[in-house]
Amino acid sequence: MSMRSQGRRRGYLLFAALCIFTFVNLIPLLWAVLPSFKYPADAFTIPPTLIFEPTLEYHREVWFENDFFRYLINSLIVSAGTVLISVPCGTLAAYALSRIPRRNSGPILNVLFTIRMFPHMLLAIPFFVMGTFLNMIDSYPLLILALVAINQPFTIWLLHGFFLDIPRDLDEAAAIDGCNSWQAFRIVILPLARPGMTVAALFSLLMSYNEFLFALVLTGVETKTLPVAIASFGGEDISLWSISAAGAVGIMLPIVVIMLFLQRNLVSGLTAGAVKG
Amino acid sequence: MVRWQRGLWLFCLPSFGLLTIVLLWPLAYAIYLSFFDYYLGSDVRTFVGLGNYIDLLSETRLWNSMWTTIVIAFGSVALEFVVGFALALALYGNRIGTKAFSTLLFLPHIITPVVATLFLKWMLASNWGLVDATLLTIGIEPPDWLGNPLWAKISVILADAWIFTPLIMIVLYAALQGLNNSLLEAARIDGASNWRILRHVVIPALIPAIIFTISVRLMDVFRFFDTIYVLTGGGPGTATETVTMYTYQLGFRMLQVGKASALGVITLVIVAVLLLTINRMLTRIYRKGDQ
Repeated sequence: MSMRSQGRRRGYLLFAALCIFTFVNLIPLLWAVLPSFKYPADAFTIPPTLIFEPTLEYHREVWFENDFFRYLINSLIVSAGTVLISVPCGTLAAYALSRIPRRNSGPILNVLFTIRMFPHMLLAIPFFVMGTFLNMIDSYPLLILALVAINQPFTIWLLHGFFLDIPRDLDEAAAIDGCNSWQAFRIVILPLARPGMTVAALFSLLMSYNEFLFALVLTGVETKTLPVAIASFGGEDISLWSISAAGAVGIMLPIVVIMLFLQRNLVSGLTAGAVKG
Repeated sequence: MVRWQRGLWLFCLPSFGLLTIVLLWPLAYAIYLSFFDYYLGSDVRTFVGLGNYIDLLSETRLWNSMWTTIVIAFGSVALEFVVGFALALALYGNRIGTKAFSTLLFLPHIITPVVATLFLKWMLASNWGLVDATLLTIGIEPPDWLGNPLWAKISVILADAWIFTPLIMIVLYAALQGLNNSLLEAARIDGASNWRILRHVVIPALIPAIIFTISVRLMDVFRFFDTIYVLTGGGPGTATETVTMYTYQLGFRMLQVGKASALGVITLVIVAVLLLTINRMLTRIYRKGDQ
């Protein structure tokens, strides 16, 4: 009996500790979310006030008067382009790799995993040089191709895992019924792979939406994406704090939504190297 | 069936074609560039062989950046691992609201790294940042978090830890959930203390996940760019200039793309050696623990 109550007390302590840690860990986030809704008079009081008259003024200003809406469109074009190229190509390759003998697919998968570790800077330099030659700096295709390059190995890895879970018997049955490999894939496997492809698409979307290095060096005034815009916008300047906080919070929102969809698949995505490329 | 399988190689064509054009070719081009003295914008490029490499390796700035990378890498990965492992264990032992905790704890990792870093920058801003404001209110003179060479390094480590601890936490938590419960039960019935269970049952079972997270993180630190760029820009002076940051300065600020490529190749070699060493080392520890 006493052991059980001791266990229960330990449970409460653990719960309390988790509550405190989670709260402290989120303070930097709250410190940006709150002022983005505050008038200057409320923004700088210490300790921060929790009851105040909220305003959406800064959110309106940053999106519609500071061009952030255009940067959002840029971000969406680049992310969508990356996903539309990377996921279909990755799906085909991942399917094939899941069906050929392991002694053939193993080395390829290892190479792909090693490529994931490449320092991105080493890729950014030739892209920058070639982009300058081809006069493609500040154009969407160049950035999209660069993002595809860093995203493709991850997409193949993630989808390969999904395809392994689809029984081979299905393809074999289709082959016996006279399907060639394309028909078997198209008619039998693809419908089953849809959930996996959705997950891969969402992770790739996140990765390209969050990407900073390539966006920084390959874009300019025309194609600047949101991370580049906010990085040049919000620094130490206190007079710009509320407005850049509003921008930062707005950039964060869609990610939080996507994350709620991805929760169940978070670990498989992360081990394949999601989010941070 | 064999003929059928041969058809599968065609499925790889689009992807591998793409990878050749956007990944292998640029990488080969970068290696090629690393043998030239080439300032982007001038028409001349002179072949210098290993000149760029020799120049770089005899520079103090390179070795400083190397040292900074090592300090930041080991500092942040150690901190992330300890905190992340503790959190994973806490989530594993917790009964109520575990899903909500893991979601909330995961937020700093999944939001745009630039945005996450700005959040931290606003915490650390002199005078009006929450940390300074709080310390000043209770009468402590705060250090210059981002302007003092030592504190800037610490701030970068803390920022990296804030962003990447959740990754380690979630991977180790998943590994814990995959543990064989009957093994834990048996150890508990035998009267083993929690500490002994952790040391002799849990940790050995988690070794693959631990190897994975630590090696991925250590290699990531060599690509670590967003946070340092936004938080300190490599400063004050070159106090937080990592190898990646230095490559950026060389390539995109000074436009010495040949030399920058050479530095990129050096980084690649280091990362490869690191990968092999860590794996070999940890596998050996693992085997020893097994006996």
